[in-house]
Amino acid sequence: MMSPRIALHDPIFHAYLCIVPISLVVGGAVLGFLRWGLKKEIEPIWRTYCSWLIMAPIGLLVVFAGRVPTIVGVMLLAIFAFKEFARASGLYRDWWMTGAVYVGIVTVGAASLMPHPRGQEPGTGWYGFFVAVPVFAVALILLIPILRNRARGELQRMSLAIVGFVYIGWMFGHLGFIANAINAYGFICYIVFATELSDVTAFTFGRLFGRHPLRSEISPGKTWEGAIGALAVSLLLPWLFRFSFPFFGAWQLVLTGLIVGVGGQLGDLSISVIKRDIGTKDMGATIPGHGGILDRIDSLIYVAPLFMHMASYYYGLR
Amino acid sequence: MKRWRYDSARDLDQTLLERLRRFPREPDMLVYGVRSFAALIIRAWLRAYHRFEIIGHEHLRSDASLVIVSNHCSHLDTLCLLAALPLRRLHRTFPAAAADYFFQSVPRIWLAAVVVNALPFARQTQVRQSLSICTELLANPGNILIIFPEGTRSRTGETQKFKSGIGALVAGRDVSVLPCYLEGAFDAWPKGSVFPRPKKVRLIVGRPRSYRTRAADKIDICAIAAELRDAVNELRHG
Repeated sequence: MMSPRIALHDPIFHAYLCIVPISLVVGGAVLGFLRWGLKKEIEPIWRTYCSWLIMAPIGLLVVFAGRVPTIVGVMLLAIFAFKEFARASGLYRDWWMTGAVYVGIVTVGAASLMPHPRGQEPGTGWYGFFVAVPVFAVALILLIPILRNRARGELQRMSLAIVGFVYIGWMFGHLGFIANAINAYGFICYIVFATELSDVTAFTFGRLFGRHPLRSEISPGKTWEGAIGALAVSLLLPWLFRFSFPFFGAWQLVLTGLIVGVGGQLGDLSISVIKRDIGTKDMGATIPGHGGILDRIDSLIYVAPLFMHMASYYYGLR
Repeated sequence: MKRWRYDSARDLDQTLLERLRRFPREPDMLVYGVRSFAALIIRAWLRAYHRFEIIGHEHLRSDASLVIVSNHCSHLDTLCLLAALPLRRLHRTFPAAAADYFFQSVPRIWLAAVVVNALPFARQTQVRQSLSICTELLANPGNILIIFPEGTRSRTGETQKFKSGIGALVAGRDVSVLPCYLEGAFDAWPKGSVFPRPKKVRLIVGRPRSYRTRAADKIDICAIAAELRDAVNELRHG
């Protein structure tokens, strides 16, 4: 359960309340030393870091505010991230399709918020419907050309809308559904922190040791060295942060590490495929130093659903 | 298999503020929603607080491109002219606003771009370029341009000399020009006062005029500007 009152007494949330500022201070100290001590040219990285100083408190504040703000926050992130995808791919010129995907994303949020109409206590989310939302969303998207009596170019629009909804609306939307778990603080704080840390690690290792391009045709900046470094850190992190999910066994900790280490980079790469084909570098310019919202959350696209289903398979979310 | 053609938004690499500042702006659902909502509130407020009245309503009911020309002595002017137009044409109505005044600070950019849908007009530096943006807008049927040819708000309430740019814009072009006179806006919210006062405001819409047959030379465009000023001032007495 999540609410401000519970958060005040939750040891896991307290721990993250300390870990996040400490990581920011450590990161800032390292970057500050590089910048002013060694006089290195790291202006873009510094800008990226400064944006973190704003994003991290907002994230913690939303999680602190409770279950409903968290789910609504994830939904809004999904809506604006999808908007970036739609603007980049040209789907945004069709407001019917865009609107249909918005309706789908709001439905994902609603399914995470409301309890099963028959049975179960409130505050649990309607798991069955949440998992089935793509059926209805895709049906709505397919319905749009029929309602408008149009066929020309509609396959491209429907495909873009379905990809946009499934990737950004639904898969990323799992992050909101995790707020229904009993151990919501541990799960949400861990996967967001670990995924972003894995991103930073991949970048750092790539910068320091990067020689061999990971996927040269997709994202020229990423290297095998960075990917392996991120995987190593991600595999280690669950053991260090075991307090986030004290009931996890060794096998589940390994799985968590694999999901974050591999999934995070796959999410990044799958959005890079889209960007590369469209021919844009970033999906937007909303966050200074990061690009668009979608460029920031893309690693969570794999991690959130895989982690949620792993946790619910072994222990159940509730 | 052939490649798909993606029709990306043209302002993809710009920040939110740059996107609001550029022109033409890309259509945005959220902006359209906020603008429509704001328009409803502004309409209600004008009716209730300023007892806003429109004379010559019928001249605004066309679907063609229009240039609306009016005297200017208050910030209320733009709001009144926007409130007089049908709501469905709201997003295709572009009041020309001084780029040096409305497109400098963040709250003003937001108000000008989102609420008013203003066209940034560089009245001091790039008049010619701004006029060509206006011309492009008018080439698109159904667009409405609101222009205050005095170039700034009058300090006395009297209509000042019209700048010749308005002549250059409409001379030889197949577009109707609608002279309007706003009465009471000066008393309600003059330049320099912070809050509007609850005074009555009346909008008088004149007959559409056309300058299709006129040449676009220096003498003619000055003559057109003077004629338009007379047309606007005549409405005040009639």
